[in-house]
Amino acid sequence: MLSTMNSEPNTTNPRRTLIKWLLSFSIIATLGGVLTPIIGYLWPPATKSTGQGSRVRVASLADLQVAGGLVVPVEDRPVVLTVSANNEVNAFSAICTHLGCVCKWESAGRYIQCPCHDGRFNAQTGAVISGPPPSPLPRYNVVIEDEDIFVIL
Amino acid sequence: MMERTSPRPSLLEKGRRWFEERLDVEGLVNLALHVEIPEGVRTYFLGGMTLFFLGVQVITGILLALYYRPSSESAYESILYIMNNVRFGWLIRSIHAWSANLMIIACLLHMLRIYLQGAYKKPREVTWLVGIVLLLITLGFGFTGYLLPWDQRAFWATTVGTEIAGAVPVVGDPLLRFLRAGSDVSGLTLSRFYGIHTLVLPATVILFVGIHLLLIHEQGLAARPGTSAGDEEMEEG
Repeated sequence: MLSTMNSEPNTTNPRRTLIKWLLSFSIIATLGGVLTPIIGYLWPPATKSTGQGSRVRVASLADLQVAGGLVVPVEDRPVVLTVSANNEVNAFSAICTHLGCVCKWESAGRYIQCPCHDGRFNAQTGAVISGPPPSPLPRYNVVIEDEDIFVIL
Repeated sequence: MMERTSPRPSLLEKGRRWFEERLDVEGLVNLALHVEIPEGVRTYFLGGMTLFFLGVQVITGILLALYYRPSSESAYESILYIMNNVRFGWLIRSIHAWSANLMIIACLLHMLRIYLQGAYKKPREVTWLVGIVLLLITLGFGFTGYLLPWDQRAFWATTVGTEIAGAVPVVGDPLLRFLRAGSDVSGLTLSRFYGIHTLVLPATVILFVGIHLLLIHEQGLAARPGTSAGDEEMEEG
Protein backbone atom coordinates (compact mmCIF):
# COMPACT_ATOMS: atom_id res chain seq x y z
CA MET A 1 0.00 0.00 0.00
CA LEU A 2 2.78 2.39 0.96
CA SER A 3 4.74 1.67 -2.20
CA THR A 4 1.83 2.35 -4.54
CA MET A 5 0.93 5.60 -2.83
CA ASN A 6 4.43 7.05 -3.09
CA SER A 7 5.64 5.87 -6.48
CA GLU A 8 2.45 5.95 -8.60
CA PRO A 9 2.36 9.36 -10.31
CA ASN A 10 -1.04 8.83 -11.90
CA THR A 11 -3.32 8.43 -8.85
CA THR A 12 -5.02 11.67 -7.88
CA ASN A 13 -4.70 12.36 -4.20
CA PRO A 14 -7.35 14.86 -3.16
CA ARG A 15 -5.35 16.12 -0.18
CA ARG A 16 -2.26 16.66 -2.29
CA THR A 17 -4.30 18.42 -4.95
CA LEU A 18 -5.81 20.75 -2.35
CA ILE A 19 -2.40 21.57 -0.88
CA LYS A 20 -1.03 22.24 -4.36
CA TRP A 21 -3.90 24.58 -5.15
CA LEU A 22 -3.59 26.45 -1.87
CA LEU A 23 0.16 26.83 -2.30
CA SER A 24 -0.11 27.96 -5.92
CA PHE A 25 -2.78 30.47 -5.02
CA SER A 26 -0.67 31.86 -2.16
CA ILE A 27 2.39 32.23 -4.35
CA ILE A 28 0.48 33.88 -7.17
CA ALA A 29 -1.37 36.17 -4.77
CA THR A 30 1.90 37.23 -3.16
CA LEU A 31 3.49 37.84 -6.55
CA GLY A 32 0.46 39.89 -7.55
CA GLY A 33 0.70 41.85 -4.33
CA VAL A 34 4.35 42.64 -4.97
CA LEU A 35 4.02 43.43 -8.67
CA THR A 36 0.92 45.63 -8.42
CA PRO A 37 2.61 48.44 -6.44
CA ILE A 38 5.76 48.19 -8.54
CA ILE A 39 3.95 48.48 -11.86
CA GLY A 40 1.56 51.12 -10.53
CA TYR A 41 4.54 53.10 -9.22
CA LEU A 42 6.29 52.99 -12.58
CA TRP A 43 3.29 54.38 -14.47
CA PRO A 44 3.81 58.18 -14.45
CA PRO A 45 1.27 60.18 -12.45
CA ALA A 46 -1.02 62.60 -14.27
CA THR A 47 0.32 66.15 -14.55
CA LYS A 48 -2.12 68.56 -13.03
CA SER A 49 -2.80 71.99 -14.59
CA THR A 50 -3.51 75.01 -12.41
CA GLY A 51 -7.21 74.31 -12.76
CA GLN A 52 -9.71 74.61 -15.56
CA GLY A 53 -10.62 78.05 -16.82
CA SER A 54 -7.62 79.82 -15.38
CA ARG A 55 -6.04 82.40 -17.59
CA VAL A 56 -2.51 83.62 -18.06
CA ARG A 57 -1.47 87.01 -19.40
CA VAL A 58 0.93 86.33 -22.23
CA ALA A 59 1.57 89.55 -24.17
CA SER A 60 0.38 93.05 -24.94
CA LEU A 61 -1.79 93.66 -28.00
CA ALA A 62 0.66 96.23 -29.26
CA ASP A 63 3.61 93.83 -29.22
CA LEU A 64 1.61 91.24 -31.11
CA GLN A 65 0.44 93.71 -33.70
CA VAL A 66 4.00 94.79 -34.38
CA ALA A 67 5.26 91.23 -34.83
CA GLY A 68 2.20 89.68 -36.46
CA GLY A 69 2.87 86.51 -34.51
CA LEU A 70 4.56 85.54 -31.22
CA VAL A 71 5.50 82.30 -29.52
CA VAL A 72 5.06 82.61 -25.76
CA PRO A 73 5.47 80.19 -22.84
CA VAL A 74 2.28 79.42 -20.92
CA GLU A 75 3.07 77.39 -17.78
CA ASP A 76 5.34 74.75 -19.31
CA ARG A 77 3.88 74.75 -22.82
CA PRO A 78 4.67 76.87 -25.89
CA VAL A 79 1.74 78.82 -27.39
CA VAL A 80 1.78 80.74 -30.67
CA LEU A 81 -0.28 83.95 -30.90
CA THR A 82 -1.30 85.47 -34.21
CA VAL A 83 -3.23 88.60 -35.12
CA SER A 84 -5.17 89.09 -38.33
CA ALA A 85 -5.64 92.23 -40.45
CA ASN A 86 -8.88 93.04 -38.61
CA ASN A 87 -7.22 92.59 -35.20
CA GLU A 88 -8.52 89.14 -34.42
CA VAL A 89 -6.19 87.38 -32.02
CA ASN A 90 -5.79 83.62 -32.29
CA ALA A 91 -3.81 81.30 -30.04
CA PHE A 92 -2.69 77.77 -30.83
CA SER A 93 -0.45 75.18 -29.22
CA ALA A 94 2.98 75.67 -30.79
CA ILE A 95 3.74 71.96 -30.54
CA CYS A 96 3.84 70.63 -34.10
CA THR A 97 1.37 67.81 -34.61
CA HIS A 98 3.93 65.94 -36.72
CA LEU A 99 6.65 64.98 -34.22
CA GLY A 100 6.46 67.51 -31.42
CA CYS A 101 8.93 70.23 -32.35
CA VAL A 102 8.15 73.80 -31.29
CA CYS A 103 6.80 75.93 -34.16
CA LYS A 104 7.83 79.48 -34.94
CA TRP A 105 6.17 82.50 -36.51
CA GLU A 106 7.21 82.95 -40.09
CA SER A 107 6.74 86.75 -40.48
CA ALA A 108 7.66 86.97 -44.16
CA GLY A 109 5.14 84.40 -45.32
CA ARG A 110 2.72 85.12 -42.44
CA TYR A 111 2.20 81.52 -41.41
CA ILE A 112 3.18 79.30 -38.49
CA GLN A 113 6.10 77.10 -39.43
CA CYS A 114 7.73 74.05 -37.87
CA PRO A 115 11.51 74.20 -38.36
CA CYS A 116 12.01 70.45 -38.18
CA HIS A 117 10.32 69.33 -41.40
CA ASP A 118 8.84 72.57 -42.79
CA GLY A 119 5.29 71.86 -41.72
CA ARG A 120 3.17 75.00 -42.21
CA PHE A 121 -0.02 76.03 -40.44
CA ASN A 122 -2.59 78.71 -41.24
CA ALA A 123 -2.20 81.69 -38.92
CA GLN A 124 -5.94 82.20 -38.39
CA THR A 125 -7.26 78.63 -38.27
CA GLY A 126 -4.24 76.52 -37.35
CA ALA A 127 -5.02 74.24 -40.29
CA VAL A 128 -2.18 72.50 -42.09
CA ILE A 129 -1.07 74.38 -45.24
CA SER A 130 1.70 72.02 -46.32
CA GLY A 131 4.20 69.51 -45.02
CA PRO A 132 3.99 66.33 -42.95
CA PRO A 133 1.78 67.40 -39.99
CA PRO A 134 -1.28 65.16 -39.92
CA SER A 135 -3.67 67.49 -38.08
CA PRO A 136 -4.21 71.17 -37.27
CA LEU A 137 -2.72 72.91 -34.22
CA PRO A 138 -5.12 72.79 -31.25
CA ARG A 139 -6.66 76.16 -30.48
CA TYR A 140 -6.59 78.01 -27.16
CA ASN A 141 -9.28 80.52 -26.26
CA VAL A 142 -8.16 84.10 -25.89
CA VAL A 143 -9.53 87.06 -23.95
CA ILE A 144 -8.41 90.63 -24.53
CA GLU A 145 -8.76 93.17 -21.75
CA ASP A 146 -7.55 96.69 -22.44
CA GLU A 147 -4.20 96.10 -24.08
CA ASP A 148 -3.52 92.69 -22.51
CA ILE A 149 -3.93 89.33 -24.14
CA PHE A 150 -4.92 86.40 -21.90
CA VAL A 151 -4.75 82.74 -22.90
CA ILE A 152 -7.35 80.54 -21.22
CA LEU A 153 -6.15 77.08 -20.15
CA MET B 1 19.11 12.73 -16.54
CA MET B 2 16.80 12.02 -19.43
CA GLU B 3 13.99 10.17 -17.67
CA ARG B 4 10.42 10.95 -18.61
CA THR B 5 8.42 12.01 -15.60
CA SER B 6 5.01 12.04 -17.27
CA PRO B 7 3.49 10.74 -20.51
CA ARG B 8 3.34 14.17 -22.25
CA PRO B 9 5.91 16.82 -21.30
CA SER B 10 4.23 20.16 -20.61
CA LEU B 11 5.44 23.39 -22.18
CA LEU B 12 7.17 24.23 -18.93
CA GLU B 13 8.92 20.88 -18.90
CA LYS B 14 10.01 21.26 -22.52
CA GLY B 15 11.44 24.68 -21.74
CA ARG B 16 13.31 23.37 -18.72
CA ARG B 17 14.81 20.54 -20.80
CA TRP B 18 15.93 22.93 -23.54
CA PHE B 19 18.10 24.77 -21.04
CA GLU B 20 19.21 21.66 -19.16
CA GLU B 21 20.54 20.05 -22.35
CA ARG B 22 22.77 23.06 -22.94
CA LEU B 23 23.69 24.53 -19.55
CA ASP B 24 24.05 22.74 -16.26
CA VAL B 25 21.03 24.49 -14.77
CA GLU B 26 20.45 21.86 -12.13
CA GLY B 27 24.07 22.04 -11.03
CA LEU B 28 23.96 25.81 -10.86
CA VAL B 29 20.76 25.83 -8.82
CA ASN B 30 22.25 23.21 -6.54
CA LEU B 31 25.37 25.26 -5.97
CA ALA B 32 23.44 28.43 -5.29
CA LEU B 33 20.53 27.19 -3.21
CA HIS B 34 21.18 23.78 -1.73
CA VAL B 35 23.10 23.98 1.49
CA GLU B 36 23.23 21.25 4.07
CA ILE B 37 21.68 22.43 7.31
CA PRO B 38 23.23 21.07 10.52
CA GLU B 39 20.89 19.40 12.98
CA GLY B 40 19.07 21.31 15.69
CA VAL B 41 19.61 24.82 14.30
CA ARG B 42 17.17 27.59 15.15
CA THR B 43 18.91 30.91 14.33
CA TYR B 44 20.60 30.17 11.04
CA PHE B 45 18.19 32.28 9.01
CA LEU B 46 19.54 35.67 10.09
CA GLY B 47 22.18 35.92 7.38
CA GLY B 48 19.63 35.05 4.73
CA MET B 49 17.27 37.60 6.21
CA THR B 50 19.94 40.27 5.86
CA LEU B 51 20.37 39.29 2.24
CA PHE B 52 16.61 39.40 1.74
CA PHE B 53 16.46 42.94 3.11
CA LEU B 54 19.32 43.88 0.80
CA GLY B 55 17.23 42.59 -2.10
CA VAL B 56 14.27 44.67 -0.94
CA GLN B 57 16.53 47.72 -0.73
CA VAL B 58 17.90 47.17 -4.21
CA ILE B 59 14.44 46.95 -5.74
CA THR B 60 12.86 49.82 -3.81
CA GLY B 61 16.04 51.83 -4.26
CA ILE B 62 15.94 51.45 -8.02
CA LEU B 63 12.30 52.48 -8.05
CA LEU B 64 13.01 55.55 -5.93
CA ALA B 65 15.92 56.50 -8.17
CA LEU B 66 13.50 56.74 -11.10
CA TYR B 67 11.77 59.72 -9.46
CA TYR B 68 14.33 61.16 -7.04
CA ARG B 69 16.16 64.27 -8.18
CA PRO B 70 19.63 64.47 -6.57
CA SER B 71 20.24 68.24 -6.54
CA SER B 72 19.96 70.51 -3.54
CA GLU B 73 17.22 72.51 -5.26
CA SER B 74 14.92 69.62 -6.07
CA ALA B 75 15.77 66.71 -3.74
CA TYR B 76 13.27 67.48 -0.97
CA GLU B 77 10.56 68.36 -3.48
CA SER B 78 11.11 65.11 -5.35
CA ILE B 79 10.58 63.18 -2.13
CA LEU B 80 7.29 65.02 -1.55
CA TYR B 81 6.34 64.21 -5.12
CA ILE B 82 7.06 60.54 -4.55
CA MET B 83 5.09 60.52 -1.31
CA ASN B 84 2.06 62.44 -2.56
CA ASN B 85 1.78 62.11 -6.31
CA VAL B 86 3.37 58.89 -7.47
CA ARG B 87 1.10 55.85 -7.19
CA PHE B 88 2.30 53.70 -4.28
CA GLY B 89 5.19 56.14 -3.88
CA TRP B 90 4.46 56.39 -0.16
CA LEU B 91 4.70 52.58 0.04
CA ILE B 92 7.97 52.24 -1.84
CA ARG B 93 9.64 55.07 0.09
CA SER B 94 8.40 53.82 3.44
CA ILE B 95 9.50 50.26 2.72
CA HIS B 96 12.93 51.56 1.77
CA ALA B 97 13.25 53.52 5.01
CA TRP B 98 12.02 50.73 7.25
CA SER B 99 13.90 47.98 5.48
CA ALA B 100 17.12 49.95 5.90
CA ASN B 101 16.75 49.72 9.66
CA LEU B 102 15.63 46.09 9.56
CA MET B 103 18.64 45.14 7.46
CA ILE B 104 21.04 46.62 9.99
CA ILE B 105 19.24 44.88 12.84
CA ALA B 106 19.30 41.55 11.02
CA CYS B 107 22.98 42.04 10.20
CA LEU B 108 23.84 42.68 13.86
CA LEU B 109 21.78 39.74 15.09
CA HIS B 110 23.47 37.56 12.50
CA MET B 111 26.89 38.70 13.69
CA LEU B 112 25.85 38.12 17.28
CA ARG B 113 24.77 34.57 16.52
CA ILE B 114 28.01 33.84 14.65
CA TYR B 115 30.03 35.20 17.54
CA LEU B 116 28.12 33.41 20.30
CA GLN B 117 28.31 30.10 18.46
CA GLY B 118 31.97 30.49 17.53
CA ALA B 119 31.24 30.04 13.86
CA TYR B 120 33.99 32.55 13.03
CA LYS B 121 36.72 30.17 14.20
CA LYS B 122 39.03 28.20 11.95
CA PRO B 123 38.50 27.59 9.05
CA ARG B 124 35.96 30.44 8.80
CA GLU B 125 38.09 33.45 9.73
CA VAL B 126 38.06 34.95 6.22
CA THR B 127 34.30 34.63 6.07
CA TRP B 128 34.09 36.59 9.30
CA LEU B 129 36.38 39.33 8.03
CA VAL B 130 34.38 39.64 4.82
CA GLY B 131 31.34 39.88 7.05
CA ILE B 132 32.89 42.80 8.92
CA VAL B 133 33.44 44.54 5.59
CA LEU B 134 29.79 43.88 4.77
CA LEU B 135 28.74 45.48 8.05
CA LEU B 136 30.75 48.59 7.23
CA ILE B 137 29.24 48.71 3.75
CA THR B 138 25.75 48.40 5.23
CA LEU B 139 26.41 51.24 7.66
CA GLY B 140 27.82 53.24 4.76
CA PHE B 141 24.58 52.70 2.86
CA GLY B 142 22.67 53.94 5.87
CA PHE B 143 24.83 57.00 6.37
CA THR B 144 24.87 58.11 2.75
CA GLY B 145 21.21 57.37 2.22
CA TYR B 146 20.21 59.36 5.27
CA LEU B 147 21.28 62.61 3.62
CA LEU B 148 19.25 62.15 0.46
CA PRO B 149 15.90 63.58 1.64
CA TRP B 150 17.85 66.82 2.18
CA ASP B 151 15.71 67.96 5.11
CA GLN B 152 16.86 69.43 8.42
CA ARG B 153 17.36 66.05 10.06
CA ALA B 154 19.39 64.77 7.11
CA PHE B 155 21.54 67.89 6.94
CA TRP B 156 22.39 68.06 10.61
CA ALA B 157 22.89 64.34 11.04
CA THR B 158 25.40 64.44 8.20
CA THR B 159 27.07 67.48 9.69
CA VAL B 160 27.47 65.70 13.02
CA GLY B 161 28.54 62.43 11.43
CA THR B 162 31.21 64.00 9.27
CA GLU B 163 32.34 66.11 12.22
CA ILE B 164 32.94 62.89 14.13
CA ALA B 165 34.97 61.61 11.19
CA GLY B 166 36.93 64.83 11.39
CA ALA B 167 37.86 64.09 15.00
CA VAL B 168 40.02 61.14 13.97
CA PRO B 169 43.66 62.05 14.63
CA VAL B 170 45.96 62.77 11.70
CA VAL B 171 43.59 61.91 8.86
CA GLY B 172 40.51 63.55 10.38
CA ASP B 173 40.55 66.88 8.55
CA PRO B 174 41.24 65.54 5.06
CA LEU B 175 38.69 62.79 5.70
CA LEU B 176 36.08 65.36 6.64
CA ARG B 177 36.77 67.41 3.53
CA PHE B 178 36.71 64.29 1.39
CA LEU B 179 33.34 63.17 2.71
CA ARG B 180 31.72 66.60 2.55
CA ALA B 181 33.24 67.43 -0.86
CA GLY B 182 34.22 70.72 0.76
CA SER B 183 34.38 72.29 4.19
CA ASP B 184 30.60 72.27 4.78
CA VAL B 185 27.72 70.00 3.92
CA SER B 186 26.39 71.36 0.63
CA GLY B 187 24.87 70.34 -2.68
CA LEU B 188 28.26 68.89 -3.51
CA THR B 189 27.98 66.62 -0.51
CA LEU B 190 24.56 65.53 -1.69
CA SER B 191 25.87 64.60 -5.12
CA ARG B 192 28.81 62.75 -3.65
CA PHE B 193 26.65 60.79 -1.22
CA TYR B 194 24.13 59.98 -3.95
CA GLY B 195 26.88 58.60 -6.17
CA ILE B 196 28.28 56.55 -3.32
CA HIS B 197 24.85 55.30 -2.27
CA THR B 198 23.65 54.26 -5.74
CA LEU B 199 26.85 53.32 -7.58
CA VAL B 200 29.92 52.74 -5.42
CA LEU B 201 28.36 50.83 -2.54
CA PRO B 202 26.06 48.62 -4.66
CA ALA B 203 29.00 47.47 -6.75
CA THR B 204 31.04 46.85 -3.61
CA VAL B 205 28.32 45.03 -1.73
CA ILE B 206 27.63 42.70 -4.65
CA LEU B 207 31.28 41.81 -4.78
CA PHE B 208 31.61 41.11 -1.08
CA VAL B 209 28.29 39.31 -0.70
CA GLY B 210 29.37 37.09 -3.58
CA ILE B 211 32.62 36.25 -1.80
CA HIS B 212 30.83 35.73 1.50
CA LEU B 213 28.33 33.30 -0.03
CA LEU B 214 30.98 31.47 -2.03
CA LEU B 215 33.03 30.85 1.10
CA ILE B 216 30.00 29.70 3.09
CA HIS B 217 28.86 27.31 0.42
CA GLU B 218 32.35 25.97 -0.04
CA GLN B 219 32.95 25.30 3.65
CA GLY B 220 29.42 24.40 4.68
CA LEU B 221 27.58 25.75 7.70
CA ALA B 222 29.25 25.40 11.06
CA ALA B 223 27.44 22.87 13.21
CA ARG B 224 25.60 24.12 16.24
CA PRO B 225 27.66 23.79 19.43
CA GLY B 226 26.06 21.47 21.90
CA THR B 227 24.98 18.97 19.27
CA SER B 228 26.93 15.86 18.42
CA ALA B 229 27.97 17.29 15.09
CA GLY B 230 29.03 20.44 16.88
CA ASP B 231 31.24 18.54 19.28
CA GLU B 232 32.89 16.77 16.35
CA GLU B 233 33.58 20.07 14.68
CA MET B 234 35.11 21.49 17.83
CA GLU B 235 37.53 18.62 18.00
CA GLU B 236 38.57 19.07 14.38
CA GLY B 237 39.29 22.77 14.93
